[in-house]
Amino acid sequence: MAFLLAVGTSAVWAAPKAGEPLSFVSCPIVRDTRTVPCWLAEHGGEMYFLTLQTDVSAPVNPPWLGHRVLVEGVVSEEPSICGGRVLKPLTLSVMPDLDASCNTVLPAEERYDLTFEPPRPPGPSKGRLAFGDPAARDAVATGGPAMDFSLAYEFDGQVAFRHAQTLQRILDTARAAQVEEVRITGYRSATRLSSGEVMREREDIARRRAEQVRDLLVGAGLDSVKYTVRWQDRSKRPGLSGAENRRVEVALIARR
Amino acid sequence: MTRTRFVFSSLLLAMLAIHGGAEEEPGARSKVAGHVPEQNRQAQRAPAPADSATPSSTSWWTPGDERVLAPLAAYGNSFGTLGILNTGGPVVTAGHPFFEPIGKNGRACVTCHQPANSMSLSVEMIRRRWEDTRGKDPLFAPVDGMNCPHLPADDPKSHSLLLDRGLFRIFLPWPPKAADGTRIDPEFTLEVVRDPTGCNTHPVYGLASANPMLSVYRRPRPAANLRYVTHQKFGVFAFIGKNGLPASRDPETGAPSGMNLLSDARQPTLKTQAVEAAVTHLQFDGPLDDERLRQITDFEKQLYAAQMTVDAAADARNRARESIARGHDVFMFRTFWIRDAMHLNTVGLGNPTKRTCATCHGMHMMGMDVANGWMDIGTTNLPHAREEPLNPWNARKPELPLFKVTCKSSVPPHPFLGRVIYTQDPGRALISGKCNDVGTIVMQQLRGLSARAPYFSNGAAESLREMIDFYDRRFDIGFTEREREDLVNFLSAL
Ligand code: HEC
Ligand code: HEC
Repeated sequence: MAFLLAVGTSAVWAAPKAGEPLSFVSCPIVRDTRTVPCWLAEHGGEMYFLTLQTDVSAPVNPPWLGHRVLVEGVVSEEPSICGGRVLKPLTLSVMPDLDASCNTVLPAEERYDLTFEPPRPPGPSKGRLAFGDPAARDAVATGGPAMDFSLAYEFDGQVAFRHAQTLQRILDTARAAQVEEVRITGYRSATRLSSGEVMREREDIARRRAEQVRDLLVGAGLDSVKYTVRWQDRSKRPGLSGAENRRVEVALIARR
Repeated sequence: MTRTRFVFSSLLLAMLAIHGGAEEEPGARSKVAGHVPEQNRQAQRAPAPADSATPSSTSWWTPGDERVLAPLAAYGNSFGTLGILNTGGPVVTAGHPFFEPIGKNGRACVTCHQPANSMSLSVEMIRRRWEDTRGKDPLFAPVDGMNCPHLPADDPKSHSLLLDRGLFRIFLPWPPKAADGTRIDPEFTLEVVRDPTGCNTHPVYGLASANPMLSVYRRPRPAANLRYVTHQKFGVFAFIGKNGLPASRDPETGAPSGMNLLSDARQPTLKTQAVEAAVTHLQFDGPLDDERLRQITDFEKQLYAAQMTVDAAADARNRARESIARGHDVFMFRTFWIRDAMHLNTVGLGNPTKRTCATCHGMHMMGMDVANGWMDIGTTNLPHAREEPLNPWNARKPELPLFKVTCKSSVPPHPFLGRVIYTQDPGRALISGKCNDVGTIVMQQLRGLSARAPYFSNGAAESLREMIDFYDRRFDIGFTEREREDLVNFLSAL
């Protein structure tokens, strides 16, 4: 932890080495290519590669022009893509407020062409999802059905498109296992940016997240179980990535 | 009378709600959706024409006529021939609730869902009916065939939205109603900026009336190919793939709905939709009985419509076919930057995303969205919606109402439009009460387009060419003249 903090305050302008964690907020940049566009962001004089345009099943979804993005990642050794250093692992959060100054679309240039086939073309994919069904991907393979689930959120975020599949699994499992109780815990997080500045999520977010998950499950028809809804503030000691703590945990308790 | 008939469903609801937390989902719990009892009250209040006349003409199907719908019916249009495939075998219209005037205004479902118009209704047909009947066809009934029911019925100006753009009045309670008929607390406030129809401000029919009701104006959507439109396959889940919220459900089976019916997905099934259609468009008092509902939905599910042939001499036909094939490739593969489209750019694709027409119009056979197809492409939200330019040289006046929506501070701003949105039709937001849904419209099927101009839910595009020009402006596409022609031909052939 001490090491991380040192990086955060003193090394902002030096080119970071592989393995170094980075957190910053900036405007995303789109770089067109002959196939699909790349998403980049600039920080401390360096250009970073965020992700490619793929489809809804991508582990990292591209951010939005018109909004700034919170980037929480680790500098990787992999060769640059589209002129940007690769961050891996990486979490992106689109900031909810509008920012019209985030509006850069760079044209395609030969020197930034992808050196590999993109996971999916910009047109119809012939039925292939680039990364497969995300629900199947993280299903637990061993033993009985998993009874613990986790939903990950963007900074200050609540349920969005990417949660539909996890919610569906919770619902299916709860029904199949004739669950008696659903325990929901929401968390609030914070991130210490590489600049040293701390970004805390809105104060009531842990509670909002937890209650929303309950409401959605009830709304989808899971209305004859007991709900225990709790929330916790994990924003007290912020690290360089707050992604881990931007979550809701759902535990299904079977009838004994 | 009506009120007592609706009581049953609300009681049921009260019981179901006991377990729930904050339960505020729109939809239906019985065959009657939460918002329909209010619509019933307004429809019964509206006058019905006393001296209507609806003479038959070649392609017009008159309610109550004794006819037989053949297994395959063909109708000419400017591009070629439209086919209506009736897979259940010949249908005798006498006594059939889709064809009988079962309400108090002399209309039947078929009045607005005409076989010759791919089971929708073209503005050309509407104008012809006006001329043939001097406005006496029940099609023009005050309840929704007029800009507002209080206007003088024999003045064409009272029907200007129908005669100019093919639009019917859709009236919905405001604030919205949950499935159980309770009030949904909307995420935004709504003001009427202008309303040339006078309906939203009217003391009996408007927002400040005893039965507060908002009026928007929409095109009939094709009542055919509905097996595809209401499919239960890929993309239909208990949670909406675009925002993670619970999908509305079939009140009988509990199965999630694909939510692709009507411009705002306010009805989960064909059955609940038919209940509303009878109450509003036909001024039928109360919920239809199960037997007639079964007949209507069976009929809807056995009916398919598509353009069958291109009319031209062999030479020209071959050229047309080549153009159609090129148009197909433009539709599928010609990329452009799709930007600031709510529920498309927000669902993991990024903003902008470099994609094609087929990205949004991806459903097999229909070209709708695979599921939950409401999006904002700027057809009803400013700044992109078609508005009348105001200047001393333009004699035309705005015809549609304009609303100002202000998203409350308790929710994040709309990601592309901010907190204040001007719209001609709030679309799905009238049902969900969500700021992000303002101006989102469920995309229509792309079948039978040649037979049913104008296009978009508010009839903003008079022709397919205008529709393509709209996309070209909206997304800065830069289509060539040839690409536009090819796209028009491709779409005309569907
Ligand atoms: C006065 C004209 C009119 C009459 C009569 C009418 N409809 Fe419609 N219909 C419409 C309009 C307008 C819409 C689109 C409403 C909207 O988008 O909110 C529509 C939409 C529909 C749809 C949705 C199709 C889709 O793909 O979304 C179905 C199904 C339908 N009507 C069935 C019926 C049935 C059944 C009846 C008779 C009980 C009926 N309609 C009577 C005007 C009419
Ligand atoms: C961002 C998603 C999106 C893209 C991209 C898109 N559409 Fe649409 N389309 C929609 C929506 C939503 C509607 C319904 C809008 C309305 O009625 O107000 C629609 C409606 C239509 C209609 C009207 C059908 C009718 O019955 O009135 C046609 C035709 C159409 N689109 C063709 C196209 C073509 C051609 C392209 C490519 C140039 C295209 N669309 C690209 C979302 C999209």
